[in-house]
Amino acid sequence: MQERRPLSDVQINKALLRNVLAAPLWFWGLVLLLALVVAAGAGAAGWMFNRGTGVLGVNRPAMWGFLIVNFVFWIGISHAGVMLSAILRLAYAEWRRPMVRAAEVLTVFSLMTAMLMPFIHSGRPWRLAYWAFPYDFARGIFPNIRSALIWDPSAVFTYLISSSLFILVTLLPDIAVIRDRTTGIRHKIYSAMALGWRGTPRQWRLQGIAGILLSAIILPIFVSVHSIVSWDFGMAVSVEGWHATIFAPYFVIGAVLSGVSAVVTLMALMRWLFKWEDHIREEHFDAMGRLLVVIATAWFYFFAMEFMFGLFTLEPQEVALRQLQVFEWPWSALFIIFILTAYFIPVPLWLFRSVRRNVAAMFWISIMVNIGMWLERFIIIVPGLLRKQPFTFVWGSYRPSPIEIIIVAATFCLVALGILLFSKVFPLVPLAEAKEGQILADQIKVGKKTIPAVMREE
Amino acid sequence: MVQERPKHKWTMVVDIDRCSGCQACVVACQAENNITINEQRDFLQRRAKEWIRIERYWEAIDPSKPAEFPNVKARFIPIMCQQCDNAPCEPVCPVYATYHNNEGLNVQVYNRCVGTRYCANNCPYQVRFFNFWEPVWPESLRNQLNPDVTVRSRGIMEKCTFCVQRLSRARRTIEGRRGKRITDESMTEENLMPACVMACPTGALVFGDREDPKSRVNELLKEHDPRQAKSVAARGYRVLEDLTTEPNVVYLKKVDPHLKKVKAHA
Amino acid sequence: MHEPRDGRHAITETLPETPQEVTEKVLHNHLATGPLFRVAAVFCGVLLLLGVVGFILRVAGGFDDRTKWGYYGAIFFYILTTAQAAPIVSVAMRMAKNHWRRPLARAAELYAIVGVLNLLIFIPLLFVLPSAAGRRSLWLDGAARMNAGGSGWPPLAPHLWIALMLAGLVFLGLALLYTAALPDLATVRDHSTSKRHSMLRRLTLGWRGTPFQWRAHRAALGVLGGLYFMFYISTHSFIAIDYGVALVPGWKDSIFPAFQVLSSLQSALAITLVTMFFLRQTGGYKEFFYVDPFWALSKILLATTILWFYFWWASFFTFWYGRTQAEQNVLQLLMFGPYRPLFILAFLFSFLLPFLLLIWNAVRKSILGPTVAAALVLAGNFFDRLRVYVASFSVEDIRAHQLESVPAAHLPDGADILIILGALGGLVLFYLVGTRLVPVLSMWELKEYLTLRRIRPFLKTHVRVMAKPE
Repeated sequence: MQERRPLSDVQINKALLRNVLAAPLWFWGLVLLLALVVAAGAGAAGWMFNRGTGVLGVNRPAMWGFLIVNFVFWIGISHAGVMLSAILRLAYAEWRRPMVRAAEVLTVFSLMTAMLMPFIHSGRPWRLAYWAFPYDFARGIFPNIRSALIWDPSAVFTYLISSSLFILVTLLPDIAVIRDRTTGIRHKIYSAMALGWRGTPRQWRLQGIAGILLSAIILPIFVSVHSIVSWDFGMAVSVEGWHATIFAPYFVIGAVLSGVSAVVTLMALMRWLFKWEDHIREEHFDAMGRLLVVIATAWFYFFAMEFMFGLFTLEPQEVALRQLQVFEWPWSALFIIFILTAYFIPVPLWLFRSVRRNVAAMFWISIMVNIGMWLERFIIIVPGLLRKQPFTFVWGSYRPSPIEIIIVAATFCLVALGILLFSKVFPLVPLAEAKEGQILADQIKVGKKTIPAVMREE
Repeated sequence: MVQERPKHKWTMVVDIDRCSGCQACVVACQAENNITINEQRDFLQRRAKEWIRIERYWEAIDPSKPAEFPNVKARFIPIMCQQCDNAPCEPVCPVYATYHNNEGLNVQVYNRCVGTRYCANNCPYQVRFFNFWEPVWPESLRNQLNPDVTVRSRGIMEKCTFCVQRLSRARRTIEGRRGKRITDESMTEENLMPACVMACPTGALVFGDREDPKSRVNELLKEHDPRQAKSVAARGYRVLEDLTTEPNVVYLKKVDPHLKKVKAHA
Repeated sequence: MHEPRDGRHAITETLPETPQEVTEKVLHNHLATGPLFRVAAVFCGVLLLLGVVGFILRVAGGFDDRTKWGYYGAIFFYILTTAQAAPIVSVAMRMAKNHWRRPLARAAELYAIVGVLNLLIFIPLLFVLPSAAGRRSLWLDGAARMNAGGSGWPPLAPHLWIALMLAGLVFLGLALLYTAALPDLATVRDHSTSKRHSMLRRLTLGWRGTPFQWRAHRAALGVLGGLYFMFYISTHSFIAIDYGVALVPGWKDSIFPAFQVLSSLQSALAITLVTMFFLRQTGGYKEFFYVDPFWALSKILLATTILWFYFWWASFFTFWYGRTQAEQNVLQLLMFGPYRPLFILAFLFSFLLPFLLLIWNAVRKSILGPTVAAALVLAGNFFDRLRVYVASFSVEDIRAHQLESVPAAHLPDGADILIILGALGGLVLFYLVGTRLVPVLSMWELKEYLTLRRIRPFLKTHVRVMAKPE
């Protein structure tokens, strides 16, 4: 795992700060393009505020539709950041270095995007803004803490704050590097943000401790966030297809699968757009591929358990629900696409080393996994509502409206736009980590062979 | 000194044996409660609002044979908000827009509602309706709106209230002004029974106060409670009882003379 | 505590310096049998005999009354989720290419031998398990079974299939142990004489450590490890469903199989830690089991302990919030009704106490700390198995739609206590015999480590440098 080219600190600075110090032309073109789609999404949402929720495809009984599916999806994507940086940091995995920052940034922007969804899909968002957030002291009514919809924002905002803190702490040394390379107002802003970082041994030690501590503290938050999102559904005793005890870990592992895949997508894009071949190397895709095989298989286990237990008691509405999901058009087609793209195509491919080391292949497979994972949420959430009880009289159907499709598309562009703008202000690959990796690299002679090696401090 | 108000527990009994599926209750409810007119568009969008609805099922008379004519029978069941004592919709509302009042009613506070629609998802009876659009009435119906009932704006939930406006009027007039107890008779006299009950031509819907020992509801419940009287005549049941929602609407099941015939044949 | 070497204060490793020393020290311990060993073996043998007596008493009572077999089932599941699960520690860590697994890998996978004992214990349980016909069970023949009481699909489900799964798991465990130990057995062969030598010569299939043999060995270990992992997860899930969830109407708890897998992982780590402690203190392997393996294993033990709570909470919370009668009754049966004391003990020993111990790094980075936490976990798992399986075996009407009434607590009789003691004695006895057959330390893995590891000066200190060959 040590196929690195020896790089000097100057080379590292130059390559990784290229976009921050002098962004190329395509960058602004891309920003403009994404901003246009986001504006279209904002327009769609504005139209919805103006006309009412009726412009969506939601109906009775499918009271929740695309927007909630999208909410769960983006919360899922946000699990990439902590999964990679915290767990791999705690495990001292050497190959984590180039992708931790990108993963954390993905976390923050996808969380922000995710929280937009339940907010705009509510009937009266203007009311939600001032009395579910958080206390309505004037009327003496505390929010109903029995409701999973109150646990949700609490968990998500805790996660958002802690992962922003995490990014800031790990950014400090890099901000100081930029500070020393800018002039004028930018210099002043970066100086303020660097909090007087000079790279003394004490500062490094404190920064290291803060990173490890935050990793350990974030881990339970990260698990709680998606568990609570799953309980938005799992607590609903009246929707037979949702009320399953396995939902919490099932959602968490699914989130990790789609999040880690999204990081692979991001890695490939960074490698191509910013020409960081020396930093994001094939070995990193290889390691991610191996990790993904394990995660996807664990996810499949939970999926199988959930599905089997749905049918286990042979209750009429459960049987009807599974029948709808698997056999009835168009759900049957969606189900087949979902199961193929989420597991049965990617995992066999990832088993081959040549696929894992092929950047283009990894890029497309990772996108495929996320198509599958989006569909997974759709197939759990909406059919559950359509067949929620044995009275056939109120069974229904659902079809998304153009407004919903535009908003969903815009969220993808919003996250991409956020990350792009971030990359203009801060480096997406941590400079300090890259340099530390260079220092810890070593070589050992075993017999006649020289093998790359790494120093272990712990 | 605070005067203690008499306690009430409002309950409805639906005798399915008497229900002919005529939909008079549906129309009465629509008029009483300022529910927008359900047009074709609303049904196609699956957004029609029917606080009370008649569900119709085709059932095989002889279950061993396929359910085709003439082996079918139409069955009706009116479904409205069951005013559950253990309502699944209540704990999930983040802003307490739906809560349980001390008269056993499951109350919807329109002003508080922000429209998360979580309550509708968690209602097993599917009796909660969302205002997807701003309510509009034809110009000619402008003056028919009931002044006692709020017109709900778009973005909020609504559902059957057991005609709570009539119940509070009963409290004001019968209890407050005259200082008498609310009884079946006084409510009927003053036209204060829920609209659907008053409209039902066959008397399938019976409404009353369970705290009033002489009420007709209590009589029926005593007669038909399967836990107390294990006779064949005890026809009472509550819909989806195994969810432990404790509904305040009790149904009396249909008497099926033809079923006995089928059994005798077999 | 060990003494830090000069200038290497960061490095706590106490392994022998050269591969030759590893061979010498391990072989010395392996080939000698001490008095303590004999005493322990005889004691466990007596316990096992008592267990056989208890078993005969139990069989004499017949198989019809499932309730009576509750404790027997629980002890089967206890061994399944502790000792028999231990090889998974070695398999998983080998897959993750950890270096600290090297001293403990064999100690864990040697527990595959206990699988043979547990397979024997399992056989009577096949007669206790009611057929799937006409009841709610995971084996799919759907409506036909519900209506007509058909024979079930696949045929002879669940009995034949779970028996095959369990037998497959035991076989794979033994195959894995044999493959992993092959180079070491060859080492023992080359250092012994007479009868042992000729027996091992046949057993080692001409292993001489050629590059080809090493490559084949590596591939075989990979394949067996993957297969073992799959069998491990599915066997645990299915057996847990058939003897737990499927016997209690209304217990529609999709997390339970995963919970069982998780607590078996937790207990597998725990039993490995306890074994390491005994090997260090009484087995003469003090320098091999230095603080690093304890430290690393206890971190994972902490993670699984927290996950124990998470899985339990996910299941409890969904049921509790749901508030339906079926769910309330299941919670009563499993947690708050007749088996409440057992549940409280399980919660304390499986989660709360080890959690409170292991959150401290000073406790984790020691020999005694992780061992105590591990012993607590082993006790907790025992109470947990009793709580679940004695309760699920005691339900009378398994064909009902939901659990109508909670059965009273079923207390153990004399035969049950004999069976429990005998099973535990047999567990230890099998392992003790195993340590005589196979070296309890993976010599080849330790030697590989010594060739890949260097200690080099770095600034003012010394650091460990690990070669990464791939």
